[in-house]
Parts: sequence; structure tokens; C-alpha cells
Amino acid sequence: MTCSGQQVNVLVWTAVITLCMFSIQAYSWTLNNFLMSGPKAYLTFSASVAAGAQAGMEECQHQYQWEKWNCPRSSLPLYSHSTPAANSETSFVHAISSAGVMHTLTRNCSAGEFEKCGCDDRKKGQVAAGWTWGGCSDNVQFGEQISKQFVDALETGLDATALMNLHNSEAGRAAVRQTLKRVCKCHGVSGSCSTQTCWLQITEFRQVGNYLKRKYHRAQRVDYKNGELKLGNTGRMEELPSLNKRDLVYLEPSPDYCRTNITEAGSVGTVGRLCSRRKVDSAHRSERKSCKVLCKSCGLKVRKRTIELLTSCNCKFQWCCDVKCEECRETVEKLTCSVI
Amino acid sequence: MSGTVLENLSNRKLGVLTVSLLLAQMVFFLIGGLIAPAPNNVQVLLATKCVDEGSSALTQQRKWFYPRGEGNCNRVSTLDDPYIIDNHITADHIVFSLQFPNPMEGTREPDMVRWFQYMVGVMMLDIAYQKHNPMIEKPLLGLDLRLGYRDIGDKPGDWKELAHASETRTMDCSLDEQFKEDGYNYNCSMLPLYEYGAVHHNFYLINIRLPITGVTDNKNYGIGTLKDIWVIVIHQNGGFTKVWYSTKTVVTPILIGIIIWFWRRVKQLPRPPVLLEKMLLGLGVVLVINNIPIEWLTLWMELPFMLLLSDIKQGVFFSLLLCFWIIFAGEHLMDDVERNRLVAYWKHLAAVMFGCLCMFIFDMCERGVQLRNPFYSIWATDLGTNLAYSFIIIAGICACLYFILLCWMVFKVFRNITFKRGSLPSMPSKRRAYYEGIIYRFKFLMLITLLCAALTVIFFIVSQVAEGHWKWGEDLSEERSKLEYTSAFYVGAYGMWNVYVFALLCLYAPSHKYGAPALIVDGDGEGEEIATNEEIEFSRLPSEVSQLTAFVKKTAAD
Repeated sequence: MTCSGQQVNVLVWTAVITLCMFSIQAYSWTLNNFLMSGPKAYLTFSASVAAGAQAGMEECQHQYQWEKWNCPRSSLPLYSHSTPAANSETSFVHAISSAGVMHTLTRNCSAGEFEKCGCDDRKKGQVAAGWTWGGCSDNVQFGEQISKQFVDALETGLDATALMNLHNSEAGRAAVRQTLKRVCKCHGVSGSCSTQTCWLQITEFRQVGNYLKRKYHRAQRVDYKNGELKLGNTGRMEELPSLNKRDLVYLEPSPDYCRTNITEAGSVGTVGRLCSRRKVDSAHRSERKSCKVLCKSCGLKVRKRTIELLTSCNCKFQWCCDVKCEECRETVEKLTCSVI
Repeated sequence: MSGTVLENLSNRKLGVLTVSLLLAQMVFFLIGGLIAPAPNNVQVLLATKCVDEGSSALTQQRKWFYPRGEGNCNRVSTLDDPYIIDNHITADHIVFSLQFPNPMEGTREPDMVRWFQYMVGVMMLDIAYQKHNPMIEKPLLGLDLRLGYRDIGDKPGDWKELAHASETRTMDCSLDEQFKEDGYNYNCSMLPLYEYGAVHHNFYLINIRLPITGVTDNKNYGIGTLKDIWVIVIHQNGGFTKVWYSTKTVVTPILIGIIIWFWRRVKQLPRPPVLLEKMLLGLGVVLVINNIPIEWLTLWMELPFMLLLSDIKQGVFFSLLLCFWIIFAGEHLMDDVERNRLVAYWKHLAAVMFGCLCMFIFDMCERGVQLRNPFYSIWATDLGTNLAYSFIIIAGICACLYFILLCWMVFKVFRNITFKRGSLPSMPSKRRAYYEGIIYRFKFLMLITLLCAALTVIFFIVSQVAEGHWKWGEDLSEERSKLEYTSAFYVGAYGMWNVYVFALLCLYAPSHKYGAPALIVDGDGEGEEIATNEEIEFSRLPSEVSQLTAFVKKTAAD
């Protein structure tokens, strides 16, 4: 039996839109309030900033889908009223949302969506003359600047948490820079490499997420001393290196995410969470040991259920729009953490 | 017998000349490094996905789709937008549209200016991995491409066609096994899009379609899920063009002056010009042709052939330079073979000419065809790629052959010099010092040649390395280095070969002091001068252009 992929797509989109509607209703106040409070000139960017923060959040949820803490929406700084904890998960959220904003702005700047984008005033003379004389700075720089202005504007205080958030947002933007691809084109005499021009290309956001996840695993605990952040004494090293801009930092240890503690730690516990024992090359390490981490280490049992799913298969794809698939029945093993 | 200026110049004058030429060289580098901006600018553009609402997409070719301005296209933000499904839009209806330059900070809309000289466009495809829609091995891309333009003052939708072509490109993508998950993109190599040798208009528009009906060879099938098309447009910076053409304009009359001076000196001689002098004249003339800034015309006229023309001009200059080196070495070989004719060097010259011919044919196949169709790329098809590679490889073999022959010749010259030098102690001291001076200056010039070649290579590498030293991870507030290495390399290398030819024309011009007793100032009196002349008469070799050869002949005769 064939079904047109359109129906599948419609379902997915309805789900996405419903989800968005829900989240907008719940959180729109803070987001709008923030976006409106920005400088007037930057109103054009607000849609991109919101989309970027959203992309950051989605990436966060993807990266942590097999971890005890699974990046609940409430942890996004733009969406929450309360002051969140200052642990390493918070630091990841700040970094990824700042990176998401930068990534989206850079992309949209390349698409020519902004009236003002990317001409550096540090170059000679007037802006128009600068463009004619020596071109303009790259879109990545523009994305970085605007992201900095927007995200850093959220931190009004000068306390330890504010400093930590600023540092982590900076680390998020550095992550976008670190994952840029440098591409070169030779176009000299007869197409030789006597003239070569290079540029930086942004990669898919997943790569930024992976980069930041690695940084999260090596996040450094810091102390707040004399108005600045200092590397905490972890006991391992006596000679402390200086704080690296690219590293994530945190002030407090993470709570026990096995237990439900929404008010203080923002933790919902792991009861009922899915885990996976998929054994393929592309399965991440965290996915392979997810049942161990999510269930067993929290004193829960892994419950196995086999369910039958209708999936699309043997699809005939074009590069866009039209999909012709067959529907197949597939038995899938669902593993959940359960008390009994 | 005439000597050249090089031998008759006092050390002090030679020193002054060398220092001033070095200073001129420094000026070239500084102009490139400090005044000029980077040679090229890059515009990274993300295509807007326009929807062609027409009933039959392929009959709608006349219509332009542009993302900005009045009457802009109906667009979708992503290709899984519900709009596409609701309106039964197929891949045939999607037009990837790029309008550049993009808007930038500033009071008016930025535009392309004629100073930009040329445009090179490459294309990068974002293709997402999807488990149920994998990419086949080396899929073919069938593209329907249009390039349009509009000028300031034209109505927003008034795009005019510059080029239109259906092109095929082979995609070369890969993805590691560990990344075969949704959310990752294939690593695809960039694809050439177009090259156009003129930037005559203010705004440009590219429309890209990937049709799926009416295409042959399974094009556009199995390419995976296309997410985005990026187009990177590279053009020359206006500031660089200005500096470059100004330098050329200043250098041209100086070089013409020195050529006239050189040739008048040659003409004043009682004998006809020798091969080396003719070669020098040829080298100078070709360099002048290279220098004459006819590129200024591009500010008034659309001349897309300028890229090809400058390729050819540079090719002719460097091939003549290669020929000159061979002849220069050959004429100083100091054996008893009569040369002074091009035919004597046919092996070497054939290598140069054949290599250059290959490069010329290759260039005509690429940039020549691009005059008719800017979207054409010889690398797009397997046949073209093989053809291009074979031309380049043949040219490479010729180059190797040439350098082996040249090195062998230079080696022979130095061997002869060392050999002949053995007989120096038996000469009177003043005369010995004189001849040693000649050898020294001859070697000095050989050294300069090697130095120029080495410096060109070194600065090329330095500029490439400096370019690579972008600190990506660093804060954007950190300024990049003030010196533009790449521009310094271009202007510097250009200046270097001009200075080189200038020096050759100066130093290898026949000396005023020919036949006059002046030569004897360093010698041992009139008697010896006569003796020298006699010996030359004896060996019946009119080809000597330098006293060095005369000296070696003489010692050989001794």
C-alpha cells in the first residue's frame, strides 16, 4: 500500500505547530518583553533571535535525550522567570542558545534577510566606499556581534551567576567559530592556485551541539572572587591555568537528576524515560549506555515493551517535496525506566 | 668589441643601481601590503527558495524570481514547509534565487561596481542525511541556470538576461559512518557555478532550478534531501583594482623609456644586434604589452574577455622569460660552438612552446568557452576533466624537461667558469682582477635571477600561510594584521619581474665605452686591447655580447 508522504508531513507539521503554540503561550511574555526591550534598530533581528534560541533548545534536547537531565524547556534562559541554578547544565543551555542565535543570524544574513548586515565600519572611510574599496566583513562576524548584543543584554546583574552566564554565552559563540569550515577556491591564471580565496562556511548546527557537548563534559568549576570568576580548586591541579574563553564554567555542582525536584533543581526525574540499546555505528556513546545511566543508576528497572509501528519504507524520493513511500509494519522494542 | 654596461660600470655605480632597484622593489611590496586591501572579496550567499506558481514550470523560463524588492517571489523558508504540500508543489517549481550584493549597513543599497572586474561563483549544497533517502554514489546534478542583471534606475523587476544554460555537475559527497544520523549533512565538495570576466552592472541575480521532468541520465535523482544551496561569489576588490592599475600606469612609461634607451644603444653599434639583445628587446616589449593598462577600458565597456586576455599576456611573458634564460645561459657557455640563432636552442624552446601551447589550449577550453557560456566548466564532465588533466600533465612534463635542460646548461656554464678560472693566476694582476670582476658580475646576475624566482615562491607561500592564520576561535574585536600579505605578494611579485627586466635592460645594454680607450683603464695598455681584438678576429665569433666570452675564448686560444 502506498501513501503519499504529504500526509506524513502534515502530521509532523501539525505536531510541531501545536507544540510551538503551547510554548509561545506559556513563555511569550518573557521573550517578547525581552525582544521589545532591545534597541529599536535591532527589532529586525528579533525573529531570527527567537528562531535561533529555539534551534539551540532543540539541539540541547537532542544532545541530552539519553542523559538524566534532558534539557527541559524551562531551562532556556529566554523562557524562564526564575533564576535557574548555576550548574554545568545551565552553562550548556546558555552556550547553546547563544550559539543558536549566532548561527541563525549568520545564516539569515547570508540569505539577505536583513536591511543592515555585515559591513564592518572599521574599514576605511564611508561604508559604501568601504564596500567598494575592500569589501565587507564576513557574515559570521555580524552574527557574533548581534548575538552578543542580544544575549548579553539578558544579564543585567553583576553577580556571580551573571558573570558565569556571560562567559558561557561567549563560549557558545566561540563554538560556532570553532566549527566553521574553511573553504578555498583557486581562481588564478588559467584557474591555477596562484590566486586563492578562502572563506568560512557555517556547518550544520548539530556539529556545534556536539562540540559544546564535549565542552560540557570538561566544564570547569569556578569560584567568584573579587568580582571575577576564578578557577576553583579541584584538588587535581595545583598550577591552575587561566580561564579559557572556549570552556564552559559553572558555580555549583549538579543536583541528583534521578529524583523529582522541579522547584529547586528543575529536575523531573527519570521515571518513564525511554532508553536505547541500539547497536549501530551511528549510535552515540551516551545512547548505548542510556539504559544503564537513566534506569539502573537511579535504582530503576528497564521495562521492555514490543510495539508494532507503521513506518514508511521503500521510499522513492525526489530531492524535494514529493515522496512516494510504502507502509511497512515494524516491531520495535521500547525500553523505559520503571519503578517496578 | 663592445662590452655591456654591467662590466664597465664601476662598483660604486653598480651599488647605487642595485640599492635603488631594491628600494623600488620595497616600494612595490609596501604599496601592496599597506595601501591595497585584500585582492578579493567573498560574498557568501544563501539561496532563497522561490516557488514558481506557473502551471508548467518549464515553460515559465522567461520569468525572473528574485527575493527582494517590489514584485519579489513567493518564497518558502524550508523545503518541508506545509505550503509545499498544500499546494502540490514539486521539485520542478522550486527556484533557488540569489540576488546580490546583499543589503548592508549604509544609507543606500550597495551595488556591484565596475572596479570589481570579474566574478567567480561556486556552489555548495547542503544535503541532509536521511535514512530512508540516502544519496547514491556520485549522483548527477542537472541544473538550469540563469544569470541576470539590473542597473540603478531600472525598475525593481526589470531583470535582463546575461546568460542561460543547462549544465550538468557531478556531486562528490561523503559522510562518515558514525554521522549517518538525521541532523547531519553530507560533506560535499564545492561545485563550480560560473565565471564572468566583467562586472558592468549594479545588481545581479542567479536563478537555479533542478528540474526532475524532462531530464535524462537520471539527473537530480538520488541526490538525497536538498536543504539549501549556498553560492559564494568572489570578485576583485575595488581598492585592489585601483592600486593595481595605478601601479601599471606608472610603470609602463618608465619601462618604455628604458627599452628605447636600450635599443638606441644597440643601434649605435657598428654591428647588427645579437640574439641576446633581440631577446632582451622582446622581453621588454612583451612586458610593456603586459603593463599597458588597457583594463581602464573596463570602466566604460563590458569586456568579459579581459580574464582570458590577461592569462594569455602573462603566459606569453613568462614563456619568453623562460626562453630568455635558456639563451642567456647558452650564450655564456663559452665553448666553441656558434649559436646566436634561435635554431640552436630548438630543443629547449620546443619544450617551452609545447608546454605553453598546452596551457593555452586548456585555457581556451575553459575561459575561452566561458566567453560564450559563463556557466561552462571543463571540470564538469569526465571527458573534460580527463582532457584538462592531460593538458596540464603534458605542460607539467614540458616544464620539468625545461628545468632539467636549464639546470644542465647552467651547470655547464659554471663548470666552464671554474675550469677557465684555473688559468687566471698566470695572467697579469690587473687584468686578472678585471676578469674576476666580470665573472663575479655574471654570477651576480645569475644569483639575482634565482633570488627573484625564490622570492616569488617564498612570498607566495608566506601569503598563503598568513591567509591561513585566521584566528577563528578568537574574539572578533582582535584586529587582523595590518599588512595585507596576499596583496603584498601580488604587487610585489609584479614589481619584482618589472624590476628584473628593467635591470637586465640597463645592465646588458651595450656600453658607451666600446672601442674607446676607456676599456683599457682597467687593462694593461693599448697593446693589450689590440691583442684582445686580434684574438676575437681570430676566432671569428661575432656573437660575444660580453667581455666574459671574449676572455674565455682568449684563454682557450692561449
